[in-house]
Amino acid sequence: MAHLHIKNLQAGYGKKLILDNINLTVEQGEMIALLGPSGCGKTTLLNALCGFVPVSHGEIFAGNRAVSQLPAEKRNITMVFQSYALWPHMTVAQNIGYGLKVQKAKRADIDARVAELLRIVKLDGLDHEKVTALSGGQRQRVALARALAIRPDVLVLDEPLSNLDAKVRLSVRHEIKALQKQLGFTSLIVTHDQEEALVMADRIAVLNQGKIEQIGTPEEIYHHPSTPFVADFMGAENHIEWPTHDDAFCLNLSNHADQLDIYFRSESAVLSAHPTSENADFNAGLTISGQVEQSVFFGNNYQISVRCGKHTIQVDHDQNLPEHTPATLRIPIDALHVFAKKEKHSDHQKTNIVSAKSMRMNHVC
Amino acid sequence: MRQTTSHNLLKNHLWLIAPAALMVGIFFLYPLCFSLYSAITLDSGEFTLTHLNKAFELYSKDILFTIIIVLISVAILAVLSITIAALITLSPFRSLSKILGFLYRLPLFIPFIVTAQMMRSFLAKNGLMNNAFVASGLLTPMDTVSFLGWSGIIITFVWKQLAFSTLLISGAMAALDDSQIRAARNLGASRLRILFQIILPQITPTLGVAMVLSIVTMMSVLSVPLMIGTGSPTMMTADMAFRINSYGDYHVANALGLVSYCICAGLAWFYLRQNLKEKGAN
Repeated sequence: MAHLHIKNLQAGYGKKLILDNINLTVEQGEMIALLGPSGCGKTTLLNALCGFVPVSHGEIFAGNRAVSQLPAEKRNITMVFQSYALWPHMTVAQNIGYGLKVQKAKRADIDARVAELLRIVKLDGLDHEKVTALSGGQRQRVALARALAIRPDVLVLDEPLSNLDAKVRLSVRHEIKALQKQLGFTSLIVTHDQEEALVMADRIAVLNQGKIEQIGTPEEIYHHPSTPFVADFMGAENHIEWPTHDDAFCLNLSNHADQLDIYFRSESAVLSAHPTSENADFNAGLTISGQVEQSVFFGNNYQISVRCGKHTIQVDHDQNLPEHTPATLRIPIDALHVFAKKEKHSDHQKTNIVSAKSMRMNHVC
Repeated sequence: MRQTTSHNLLKNHLWLIAPAALMVGIFFLYPLCFSLYSAITLDSGEFTLTHLNKAFELYSKDILFTIIIVLISVAILAVLSITIAALITLSPFRSLSKILGFLYRLPLFIPFIVTAQMMRSFLAKNGLMNNAFVASGLLTPMDTVSFLGWSGIIITFVWKQLAFSTLLISGAMAALDDSQIRAARNLGASRLRILFQIILPQITPTLGVAMVLSIVTMMSVLSVPLMIGTGSPTMMTADMAFRINSYGDYHVANALGLVSYCICAGLAWFYLRQNLKEKGAN
């Protein structure tokens, strides 16, 4: 295994540019998750790495080898596909050993490597089974073993868990992570599931419209998103544009003259159905008054929709609340992701991150 | 109870398939059965093998010729169809694939008799092909060779059937999950290896269907051996036409038909057996 270095990469289909100026380094033995919504270019990036999509600009280094102009079969970067892509006319062992057969390895070496991988992916004894006789989880493990058999420089996984049902997905997720730690392969995993990315990856790269918005550890990405898009994508689904010109909102931050984008998660907000003086002591960054619009049971809690003027705020709460109950929401300052809007000459707006913690407290309602 | 209901339902609605069944009965089953009956009976209706004996006595050379012509054609057809379909599926040159994808379909819309006429004027000693060679200075008129004969029949069969079999085979190749090919490529397999080890084993049933259907078609064509062939040996369809047109001898013509039917049935049986074996193995 080697490290992967992507430098100023541009790629696309025909004249349509999908990836623009991608810079990313995956250290040896590291797993990076490419996270983003559908159509953001994450699968195209994997395809460009593997040689299935031409690179129009930039370079890809696998170890010290520049591979961007090499054909797919010479890159030594293998992929685990969402659809497994196993060959149905071959047995499990033939699928896993195919890459070694192509490399003209000795029969005995192929058999030994196949047996070793079957043991690693916990499929011992299934070597002569047809892959069509296996379950989804088993098929994906065969696909993983097949991709690892030739000891690739880099392993890429294209939404490997999407075709599996919820229970199997959790176990295969755990197994891939355990294998990655055990074997130390350098890998890139594509997913649109933020939980999957948080659990599996050493670092996460969030992609949006063909560009990397932020790279960081799962904790950094989750707690300190650097752009509104990352905050929104990582689950801070409540968004308020400040100033709201509404008395129902009270913000305890400095810099109130600026226009701000404020994001926070539903679980960060504390809901008080019957506000008391006790609750008022709570040191909130943002306080919102409204009334309950809807309450939905989520298993371990209720998700309450609170209507505050033109905004609907989602908040987790341990009790069901009837409609039209007056409610006060308090969001601690640490849980707010605040971005200053930067007015430009052009119509579109850019944002600058503002550290909520570094702001001087200032009461603005 | 439920079984009785569905049985009644079937009984009540049986007439719905009557028109189709009647068509098949009148235009296919009756002529086939009559032809088989005629091949093995005298005018008086008694069973006899005389017609079959006569057919083998007079035309065994032509029967062998037919089998050889059809087998050679189908072998060339398989190689060319696979090559074209593979180029369309695996070629990195997308524009070339698109042109090829359009061109190979053209013979599909040309009837056999037109193809035969076209080939006759193309392959003859003073045909378009030789004239083009002479005009370009590659050959003198003395060096030109006529391709009318067994080679012409093969060329015509292959040219005409190529579109049909390529259509089936390229369809089967396109239906394969593209990621299967990609998976092989990033494990280091060349395109040729992918064709033989990944694609072909998976499309064998379709290849079999294309070849069996092409054989049946070639066995039934009359215009090509009549227009391209040199007369002797010739294909069985020409012999059948000759028996009827010259002698009004339907019995021997039908006996030849029976032989032709047996050859097709034998090949179909071989194909089905292979197919079942593979399915059993799966």
